[in-house]
Amino acid sequence: MSVSNGSVSKAGDWRSYQRVLLPPVKDLHKLEVYEQHGGYASLRKALTDPAWTPQAVTEEVKKSGLKGRGGAGFPTGLKWTFMPPVNPDVPRFLCCNGDESEPGTFKDRQLMEYNPHLVFEGMILASYAMSVKTSYLYVRGEYADWISHMERELEKLYAKGYVGKNIMGTGFSTDLVIHKGAGAYICGEESSLMESLEGKRAYPRSKPPFPAQRGIWGYPTTINNVETLACVPLILEKGGDWYAKIGAEKHPGPVLYGISGHVNRPGVYEYPTGMLISDLIYEVCGGIRGGKKLKALVPGGSSTPVLRADMIDGVTMDADGLRAAGSMMGTAGMLVLDEDTDMVSFLRRITHFYHHESCGQCTPCREGTGWLENIVTRIDEGEGNLRDLDLLLDLCSQMEGRTVCALADAAAWPVRYTVERFRSEFEARCRPSLVSVPETAALPA
Amino acid sequence: MPTITIDGVAHEFEAKQALLQFCLDRGIEVPHFCYHPAMSVPANCRQCLVEVGMTEVDRETRQVKFGEDGKPIVRFLPKLQTSCSQEIADGMVVRTHRTSDLVARAQKDTLELLLINHPLDCPICDQAGHCPLQIQAYKYGPEGSRFEFEKTHKPKRIELGPRVMLDGERCINCTRCVRFTGEVSKSHQLTIIERGVRNYPMTPPGVVFDEPYSMNVIDICPVGALTSVDFRFKARVWEMSKTASITVSNAKGSNCWYWVKDNRVLKVTPRDNEQVNRYWLPDEDRLDYERFNDGRLSGPVVDGRPSSWDAAYAAAAEVLGSVEPASILFLGSAHASVEDNWLLSRLATHLGAPAPVYIPHVDPGHGDGWLRTDDRTPNARGCEALGILPIDADSVRKRLSSGAVKAVYVLEEDPIASGVFSADDLGSAPVIVHAWHTDNRTLAAAKVGLPAAMVVETIGTFVNEDGRAQRVRPAKAIKGVNRTLMMEVGKSRHDLHGTPFDRWYDETNLVDCQPGWVSLPAVAARCGLELSYRGPKDILAEIAGSNEAFRGVSYEAMGESGVRLQETAQTA
Repeated sequence: MSVSNGSVSKAGDWRSYQRVLLPPVKDLHKLEVYEQHGGYASLRKALTDPAWTPQAVTEEVKKSGLKGRGGAGFPTGLKWTFMPPVNPDVPRFLCCNGDESEPGTFKDRQLMEYNPHLVFEGMILASYAMSVKTSYLYVRGEYADWISHMERELEKLYAKGYVGKNIMGTGFSTDLVIHKGAGAYICGEESSLMESLEGKRAYPRSKPPFPAQRGIWGYPTTINNVETLACVPLILEKGGDWYAKIGAEKHPGPVLYGISGHVNRPGVYEYPTGMLISDLIYEVCGGIRGGKKLKALVPGGSSTPVLRADMIDGVTMDADGLRAAGSMMGTAGMLVLDEDTDMVSFLRRITHFYHHESCGQCTPCREGTGWLENIVTRIDEGEGNLRDLDLLLDLCSQMEGRTVCALADAAAWPVRYTVERFRSEFEARCRPSLVSVPETAALPA
Repeated sequence: MPTITIDGVAHEFEAKQALLQFCLDRGIEVPHFCYHPAMSVPANCRQCLVEVGMTEVDRETRQVKFGEDGKPIVRFLPKLQTSCSQEIADGMVVRTHRTSDLVARAQKDTLELLLINHPLDCPICDQAGHCPLQIQAYKYGPEGSRFEFEKTHKPKRIELGPRVMLDGERCINCTRCVRFTGEVSKSHQLTIIERGVRNYPMTPPGVVFDEPYSMNVIDICPVGALTSVDFRFKARVWEMSKTASITVSNAKGSNCWYWVKDNRVLKVTPRDNEQVNRYWLPDEDRLDYERFNDGRLSGPVVDGRPSSWDAAYAAAAEVLGSVEPASILFLGSAHASVEDNWLLSRLATHLGAPAPVYIPHVDPGHGDGWLRTDDRTPNARGCEALGILPIDADSVRKRLSSGAVKAVYVLEEDPIASGVFSADDLGSAPVIVHAWHTDNRTLAAAKVGLPAAMVVETIGTFVNEDGRAQRVRPAKAIKGVNRTLMMEVGKSRHDLHGTPFDRWYDETNLVDCQPGWVSLPAVAARCGLELSYRGPKDILAEIAGSNEAFRGVSYEAMGESGVRLQETAQTA
């Protein structure tokens, strides 16, 4: 198998990279151990050093170039500045999104299990930066074990006075609440997460207004991913400049790559952004299982467009690199598919997921996801017709960009790109149409 | 003034509002399902998508930029926008399906998607004929469907409550019903359950959808998912005529449509009136219609035997002429119109009898501060404005037993059933009663019974609790020829459907009764009082000319939505 012929990784000397999000320390999830290894020093620094005003913390995060790790990759520091000026009469909230439900994504769970205090510290620091008095850690209900695990540690944190009233005697107070979701993919969408947190049915809200204007209970709210907030203590400890120098220039920092599928050593790996995909598959994960060839790769969770093996040469895992290759960074949850993979069957499983998880609020997604699954299932069972392929693409155009949230896009993209990029495989499974299919004009999204 | 361009036509506006409502207000149709002006905007049906752009403005000079073709440069948003949630702005340019193929295609796509799991059982659906989904599918939808799979199955025939039935499969999940119980009636008795395409509205566990306003969800449902337990399968929409009128179950005078087939009222639905009931109607108003159809007194009765109208009028006049005028008790009625009560007053005055009084029907605690009132009559306020005051039942009973009352004249009331006096209290005093029903207990004790037209058969004015004078119109015909009534039926019925069923006159189920403004002048004429009017319109004109409270009130002024008494008195 030819590996990255001369293409350049943006991750620098990644082989000697020292892990910072998930450092190799035994029992780091315990408060005592975390503190022994310098934990909560960033928080103490921010709260006690007068130079570290809330604005200074936000500025440092902006300087680091940290981009959200939840999928959309929005600059974190910039998001924080969208919060309106502090008004003592108007509560404001921070929400840490731990509802990771995208198939192929399981990196936040590692943080919750092995380094929960880094997340807590990041949340408290972000609360300080935005003058938030209550922050929520919204975790999907399926992570029940990790929730109780984190709740134990959070109790210790309250007992020690690192969160709650008058933190570390500095006069700054903020509460941290772990909220357990009830198990729905849609709750990972930020506005639907807020509805769920309010105890309502998790239907996404129309935007605008954005959460920073009207969020939880109608008050200004910022929502960040678990991994995003876990970066904040590191940025304060080592400086925004340090962070900005890790990995790809325009999309810097350490990233938890959650690699699954047909590789020899699947798992969550912490490396800088900008890693060559080939390095991740063949070096980090020990190559494709059974010495097989790579067929396809989904780079950032099931909704990101699939890449054929011939499309990943020299492609790096960062926003720019993947955009150029025709996909997206997403959550860096990579699905590696070997040459034996049946792409029709693969797509059938994905369409089943989105059909099952559509919240049902908007017509195109509610009705479209089920129809997509119907058609793909029929093709998979050998009952499909050639014209079904064009119908699939047409349905994708009917869904994309026409709903309140992005789930319709997330459901349509895997179909669009799998069919487009593996069309011959789909055609081979279909019965020939007796009537020629008229050209369907694709609509702009 | 700020301007918005819709399909190439410029519209000026003053206040910001939602684009969809702005279009609807100007008669620009934009298909939609989930949007309702009285509730929040979830933008979930995605039917009202339009292209929205802004004319480009130079940042420094604030002047509109023009392109090489001399037209303003418009920058359109990359995605189609839901017009229900889009606020209008100065310089906005909108393309609807009339000018944009993209929008027309998107609307067609949404309809195709809405229909794939919809049962399409229109031939047996109550909503067919006035179903927004059906109408819009024909107007904007695709010609066929590309869906070749089994539709999603959901529960059917679910009794959400005693009055509302759900067909889960017909539901398109617009959430109007859920928002109604959450935002308007605030009973919170409905929610959406399940997920995705299996979604449908349901009551929470252990809750019955029995709030007093539950049937409103039937009207706002844009498909036939929510139907009335009472009405379902009784008639097709196009077999009925609807007449704009008001309900008379309480003193609110909520505006309504009476739906009539073969001279029977089958359904009562709300009629929009921002000043009274907006879009809503309580269940009690909707279900209070069988008394218009059944148990009616048809044909006059004298001494318990059927009689001709002439003989009955003569018998009534004879009774009135046979006793001391001061000993006649005239009972007006808060159930009867202003005009009829006025004629009764005029008759009493002519004879020299004491002024009429009315029987209040107040049920303390029944009102809810919204559309239900403690007062269970529609016109108590109108009676009082005419100087007809509530009865003092104790003194009436005393006067009866002492023989001071020697005859009783009752307009559309049942004083015995109301407990004002008993048949024994009456003794030998003769009673004349304008009655609606054969089970009127006063009728059993009466010498003369004159069948009275009910609110759905007459023309008249009612004044609600808030002092609003409103018209009623005849929704069904009565037996016998009355040119004024028939002309009014022809004018008032909204036979909108253009089918052979649009018969404004039908021979079946006619009740032999007369409105008070026909029978009272007939009695009066035999007592020597000529009351000559072409119809109730002239009577109201006479009242408006002589009674300060009614100054300025006329049929023209009331129109479809009524007019407040005080307002006209002040402005007149």
